[in-house]
Amino acid sequence: MTHLTMQQLLDVREPASSPGSQSARRHLEACQTCQAELERLHQRTAQLKALPTLRVPRDLWPEIRSEVVVYRRRRIAAWGGVGGLALAASVALFLVLGARTVAAPEEESSRAIGTAMAQSQMLETALGRYRPERRVTDGRTATVVAGLETRIAEVDRQLQVAGMMRQRVRDEALLSLWRQRVGLMDALVNVHLTHATNAGL
Amino acid sequence: MESFPLANADAVVARARSGDPEALEQIFRAFQTPVYNLARRICRTVEDAEDVLQETFLEVAKSIRRYRGDGSLWAWVRTIASNKALMRLRRNKYRDTDELHDEVMPTRREDRHLRMDLEAALERLPETSRAVVWLHDVEGYTHSEIGAMMGKSVSFSKSQLARAHVRLRGWLGEEATA
Ligand SMILES: [Zn+2]
Repeated sequence: MTHLTMQQLLDVREPASSPGSQSARRHLEACQTCQAELERLHQRTAQLKALPTLRVPRDLWPEIRSEVVVYRRRRIAAWGGVGGLALAASVALFLVLGARTVAAPEEESSRAIGTAMAQSQMLETALGRYRPERRVTDGRTATVVAGLETRIAEVDRQLQVAGMMRQRVRDEALLSLWRQRVGLMDALVNVHLTHATNAGL
Repeated sequence: MESFPLANADAVVARARSGDPEALEQIFRAFQTPVYNLARRICRTVEDAEDVLQETFLEVAKSIRRYRGDGSLWAWVRTIASNKALMRLRRNKYRDTDELHDEVMPTRREDRHLRMDLEAALERLPETSRAVVWLHDVEGYTHSEIGAMMGKSVSFSKSQLARAHVRLRGWLGEEATA
């Protein structure tokens, strides 16, 4: 009588048995030697599963964490558009904060308007280069972006209205509106920037 | 070693996806031991197992946004770990042929009378056989899953498992009665 090979014994244990395992099963029912061999196989597998759990010799998290940080930085740096966006955001914020601390005198109002317009333009250009419409975004970011874009559109509508006002009232309104627009554009850029930074991980 | 509890796994994964390093650390703390054990049983040295552990969690950090949450988090982490461990075996170009292995460690006659410790016997198996035994018998992967991970066929995985068990049976002092 030919006993079962190790391969046949293992096949018998598999959930989806091959056709050959039918005859192997018949042999197994009749042969005590092979039954004992199968039992040894069961026990060996159980012993493997019961091997003691080995302890991790040292804490590897600090190394992994720093590698993750390096990876994140590289990813962000590789996204050239994001780099430009970050620069635009920090410069614009600096200018807006600076402008708010100094009250613009009357004769300076047109220059101040020009500055605000330039800031707004810079942010818009940076955002245009970043091409947010081509980037994957999450639902929360999309909602915030949509809210800001609506407010920017409202400011743009008011700017058109202000353009038809008398000189003195107009300059004040324009300056205020352009500064609002810079603030909103800055917020918009920052939303994209935050999302890009997180996505870079 | 099936899975380790991670309280609020969904919330932790969501935070890890948004780049929260503390959430990543929680995932690491929950699974470092089973990942290390898998790596240590498949690779021969502590250093290799540590490298696999590190590579696994760097990969987890990189691709957590792609984890869909359809399977268990541990199953996902374990597959990354298995692939990293197998990659390390290939990279190290471990001696993997039975011929070479037998040359280095001849099976002497008296060996059959020495009851070898199962852990020592496992260590003594050729690399590929040991990896297949561990992935199939302990981690519960199917032959087709193991074949896919190794870039080999189902029958390759099956025959590696059979050879491993023949060897283990011999070394553990279980005399063949055939
Ligand atoms: Zn038999």
